[in-house]
Amino acid sequence: MKILSGTQQLFKSAFADFRRDKVRTALTSLGIMIGVLSVVLLIALGLGLKNYIEGQFESLGANLLMVLPGSGFTGEGGGGFGGQGIVGGAQFDEKDVRDLSRLSGIKYLTPVVFKSSLVQANGEEKAGYVMGANEDFFGLMSYKILSGDLWGKTEVGNRSKVAVLGYNLADDLFDKPADGLGKTLRVSGIRLKVVGVIKKTGDNEQDRSVVIPYTTTFGSLNPSKTFFSIYLGVESKDEVEAVSSAAEKILLRRYDEDEFAMTELSEILSTVNSIFGIINVVLMAIGSISLIVGGIGIMNIMYATVTERTREVGIRRAIGATKRDILLQFMTESVLLSFLGGAVGLLLAAGIVLLVRIWFPVALNLTAVLVAFGVSSAIGIFFGVFPAKKAADLSPIEAIRYE
Amino acid sequence: MKETRSTISLNKVTKEFLLGDGSVFTALKEINLDIKEGEFSAITGPSGSGKSTLMHMIGLLDRPTRGGVIINGRDVSKLDDNATSFLRNEFVGFVFQQFNLLNKLTIKENILLPTTYTRKRLSYDPSERAEYLMDMFGILSKKDQYPNKVSGGQQQRVAVARALIMRPQLILADEPTGNLDHKTGTEIIDLFEELNKKEGITIIMVTHEMEVAERARRQIRVLDGEIVSDKK
Ligand SMILES: Nc1ncnc2c1ncn2[C@@H]1O[C@H](COP(=O)(O)OP(=O)(O)OP(=O)(O)O)[C@@H](O)[C@H]1O
Ligand SMILES: [Mg+2]
Repeated sequence: MKILSGTQQLFKSAFADFRRDKVRTALTSLGIMIGVLSVVLLIALGLGLKNYIEGQFESLGANLLMVLPGSGFTGEGGGGFGGQGIVGGAQFDEKDVRDLSRLSGIKYLTPVVFKSSLVQANGEEKAGYVMGANEDFFGLMSYKILSGDLWGKTEVGNRSKVAVLGYNLADDLFDKPADGLGKTLRVSGIRLKVVGVIKKTGDNEQDRSVVIPYTTTFGSLNPSKTFFSIYLGVESKDEVEAVSSAAEKILLRRYDEDEFAMTELSEILSTVNSIFGIINVVLMAIGSISLIVGGIGIMNIMYATVTERTREVGIRRAIGATKRDILLQFMTESVLLSFLGGAVGLLLAAGIVLLVRIWFPVALNLTAVLVAFGVSSAIGIFFGVFPAKKAADLSPIEAIRYE
Repeated sequence: MKETRSTISLNKVTKEFLLGDGSVFTALKEINLDIKEGEFSAITGPSGSGKSTLMHMIGLLDRPTRGGVIINGRDVSKLDDNATSFLRNEFVGFVFQQFNLLNKLTIKENILLPTTYTRKRLSYDPSERAEYLMDMFGILSKKDQYPNKVSGGQQQRVAVARALIMRPQLILADEPTGNLDHKTGTEIIDLFEELNKKEGITIIMVTHEMEVAERARRQIRVLDGEIVSDKK
């Protein structure tokens, strides 16, 4: 009973204090709020990036082998997946595809022509990516049809002017993505009939793609009849290494070692992961800086009011408060303040994370939450209690006269 | 004559202050003083003579550099923080020369503040007593105001009410009438006199007004940190 009323008294006095010192209260909890908010959000962002990229790779499957000109991803640091930033090196052609088709253990094999270009339809003109490939491409990329159908071997053989349209591009060009079915597109002067629209994949390039038979590109789009890349889908994960070296052997008959590179997806994934390791460290550093900034804010406010608060401690001591009473009072205040600030920061962060999740796979991380909360609160509590402890150690009159 | 025991004794109390330039200023010089239970004393002396410093020693608000303060037969320098705080809370009521009210608490909350630190069960309702004191001092209408929003005289009355809320055995008042008009000043002294006579509360007050000092039954004069006269 005595203890309860004591605690009640402490809470009452703390809240009375907040009411009267609104500015100090607001600024202190703001410091903690910002610290928690920024750290949690930054970590959520880092996790989101990682989830996003991993998701992309997962949808492709880890059994993908890519033959790229130059020395591949690890070498020249080229334009990324399917990008055109890689200069020099081999120009693959149909003979390479035929040679590689003799390999055993492969499930899919497709040449890839890649061009970014403007796509016109329905009176609209939007940027998209034209991808020339064979029917294996759909299986390899695990495309799921939204409406219509995928084109097949026959269309490749006939150099048919047919296209499978990515979701986002279809959405941009037509009222509804599915409306694109049966419509005609114009790309670099070629008319293409949309035979299918695919479901959203989450990958920007794929969602803005116009996938056509590679043979159809042999013309104004691709006069040299060469391929940017050749994709191989290996039957099982265990065979990736073996298929990769067998393919390399075949290609070495025509090209020099430095003219092409075999790139495994899992290899890219580990490169990407190590990049994310660095990005996460950077985000963490930024987060720590905002924690420190928040902490300095709290410290400033506490020091700006230290004279007034020391005087208050002196007065309370003079009328009978023990050192313990003072410490409890200031501890209660600081803890409440830190928790309020931290909770608001956390709620805001959670709200933002939930909102952003609609577009991007950000995620909350318990450790991040605990660390941010812990560090901010520790700073808040330390700078709340430390001056009070110093004041309580003075004689009441010294505290009252403190300057 | 009835033998009364000493409520407070100062035994060669010296208080030195270390000044900014490194020199030492002696505000109290080996003061010996016995205050008996139920006494009503006035301390007078020129400004800077050490009256407030002396009151702080008696009220346990500061520690002497040398010498002892004995309260009810116990040397308080040997007491721990809890015991000292207990004495400040329940034994003394201190009226400061500068009031020392908390501006973020209302007048009523200021008056009630000592009761929030008590460890014993009070025999009266603190809120009722606070209202009674405020009523007596004519500040009841200001009870929800903040101290910095009322006049100096009203603040002084709040300070006196706060000193009285715990029904202390000893009241130390540093210039309690300093900011009051003659009439209210007289009322406060009347009140002190009544508390002293009826309830046997020991009162020590600092004043520079002869008229006020003469109301006390003992006059102690301080000069340059020494007691130069002590009349009963
Ligand atoms: N904390 C301190 N540091 C240095 N000197 C001090 C301190 N407190 C008091 N003094 C000095 O001690 C002397 C006595 O001060 P005190 O406040 O006791 O005087 P007083 O008699 O109450 O004066 P007044 O009538 O003006 O209130 C003064 O000279 C004062 O300057
Ligand atoms: Mg004085």
